[in-house]
Amino acid sequence: MEAFFGNLELGFTTALSLQNIALCFGGCLIGTLVGILPGVGPIATIAILLPLTFQVDPTGALIMLAGIYYGAQYGGSTTAILVNIPGEATSVVTTLDGHQMARNGRAGIALGVAAIGSFFAGTVATMVIAALGVPLTKLALIFGPAEYFSLMIMGLAFAVVLARGSILKAGAVIFVGLLLSTIGTDLQTGDERLTFGMIDLMDGIDFAVLAMGLFGFAEILRNLDNPETRDVVKTKIGRLLPSMQDFKDSALPVLRGTFLGGTLGILPGNGAVLGPFASYTLEKKLAKDPRRFGKGAIEGVAGPEAANNAGAQTAFIPLLTLGIPPNAVMALMVGAMTIHGIIPGPQVMTKTPELFWGMIASMWIGNLMLLIINLPLIGLWVRLLKVPYRLMFPAILLFCCIGIYSINNDAGDVLMTAFFGFAGYAFYKFGFEPAPLLLGFVLGKLMEEKLRQALILSRGDFATFVTSPVSAGLLLVAALVIVVAILPTVRKGREEAFLE
Amino acid sequence: MIRIRAPQETAAGLFLVVLAAVVFWQTSDLAVGTVRALGPGMMPRVLATLCGICGIALIVFSLIKDGAALERWSIRGPLFILGAAIVFGLTIRPLGLFVAGIATVILGSFASHDSRFVESVIFGVAMTTFCWLLFKVLLSLPIPVAPWLLGY
Repeated sequence: MEAFFGNLELGFTTALSLQNIALCFGGCLIGTLVGILPGVGPIATIAILLPLTFQVDPTGALIMLAGIYYGAQYGGSTTAILVNIPGEATSVVTTLDGHQMARNGRAGIALGVAAIGSFFAGTVATMVIAALGVPLTKLALIFGPAEYFSLMIMGLAFAVVLARGSILKAGAVIFVGLLLSTIGTDLQTGDERLTFGMIDLMDGIDFAVLAMGLFGFAEILRNLDNPETRDVVKTKIGRLLPSMQDFKDSALPVLRGTFLGGTLGILPGNGAVLGPFASYTLEKKLAKDPRRFGKGAIEGVAGPEAANNAGAQTAFIPLLTLGIPPNAVMALMVGAMTIHGIIPGPQVMTKTPELFWGMIASMWIGNLMLLIINLPLIGLWVRLLKVPYRLMFPAILLFCCIGIYSINNDAGDVLMTAFFGFAGYAFYKFGFEPAPLLLGFVLGKLMEEKLRQALILSRGDFATFVTSPVSAGLLLVAALVIVVAILPTVRKGREEAFLE
Repeated sequence: MIRIRAPQETAAGLFLVVLAAVVFWQTSDLAVGTVRALGPGMMPRVLATLCGICGIALIVFSLIKDGAALERWSIRGPLFILGAAIVFGLTIRPLGLFVAGIATVILGSFASHDSRFVESVIFGVAMTTFCWLLFKVLLSLPIPVAPWLLGY
């Protein structure tokens, strides 16, 4: 317990330095600003804003990135409520009742409840991370290569099952991602792999290039193909502070949502995406009058928003303690950390405790800032929602180009990103979802390394993956998840869950 | 009679099969290695095989089950957006941010049907100036501004 508070104290002293507060504030503000733009999801937001952190020291950069991440998340919810456009899968649920509340003239209350619920969830989740950080890191240290490999297999299995669309396609996308990660010089033998004789490919594909291509450029192309119908709420935003009755109605849903989202968020393989759905379904089941749902029930905003934020937060746990990103956004964080020379994993906490705890403390500060800056700035956000797309996309385009160029000061990177932009567009036309690809790409190198290590240690015996109980258990879970998802009855249930 | 019932799935499957074939062709000279010491060719080929299997499965299913049609590909969007990015990549070094930035915004704007030329010129100048202030002045990233005029 003493260590717990000691660590938090170290974290807060780091996070509360003037520079870091400013970075956290800046990150939250800009993250919200970009995240709120309709058609720009959190992944695109972080990818676009990545270059802003280049000149900052690693701790500050991570604090700022975390701020951008929360801002993007919160901006997404605002767009969901006010415009009925979900920025990503997890805010789909918020559109259901949130937008209806807005149409009933209760937009302000919906935004207020979302912000307060998210803040509460964020606070709890931050404490969970702080509490679980040390024990899980110890767990990570006893993980050998075989266990790591199996853990990543399990994470990818979850990612396949939880992706939208057919399981076959989600699996294929992950394989393509893994395949892309093998491009470049082989670390053990020095052989060039799949470089097509291009010097630019010898070091492998740059993570940021892939992410900006798939999520920056391709998203613009996708949006241009589907001219959005923006349903910006015309009624007044109204008061933001929920009444006593609203508080009473949303207190329990927030608690339940926090628990559900926080628990699911720890799962490797994008468990966080399930949180809001689970919370919404639960609230609907528990409600005295379920018919109110879909017509502006405050519980349908409070619960899922809390779940969303709790999951967004606890998704950091596998990343920070085991070094394994659970979803595409966290994969992007890995990419960002690598740019700053930090390899995520258990060694981060032991080697650079001020970075680790500073980031955790800044998570809470970031959540508080979101609450403070967003409520008064709602008027500005509403005006931003009216920016026409014909002005938005050239600006995004320019930002992406400058960003990619400044990563390595290499104009060739911009050309390669254009290629991946086209690839992303083709993927969209083929009905592939690009997010799992990013996850596969980030995990690929690590997986190959661990696989080779494990086989060297076991002298070429594949049994090493099943003789270790931990590894066998993880693989069993992975197999189970896939089998369950393929069973037709369950698959039907899964589709319904996503439709709801 | 065999009939394509889900064109999108067929196309996706074909893409995966072609990808797998390209990988096999490109890695043909790499050693697969032994189980004890995996060679550099092992992972790519195993993954390509898995991709190929997924692709064949997608094609087979697309002949059995009805599914989505292949959407129309637009030419205008990719042409101008990716074209603008390529122009940026080619001009940023020799001509600098002010030329590359303005060109990118104006060219990119053509991707949308409802953009207006004068508006995008003004917007291009404004955005580029903003980016110069943000990235160069404030964040001091090493981006060439106007080498032909200023020398940096």
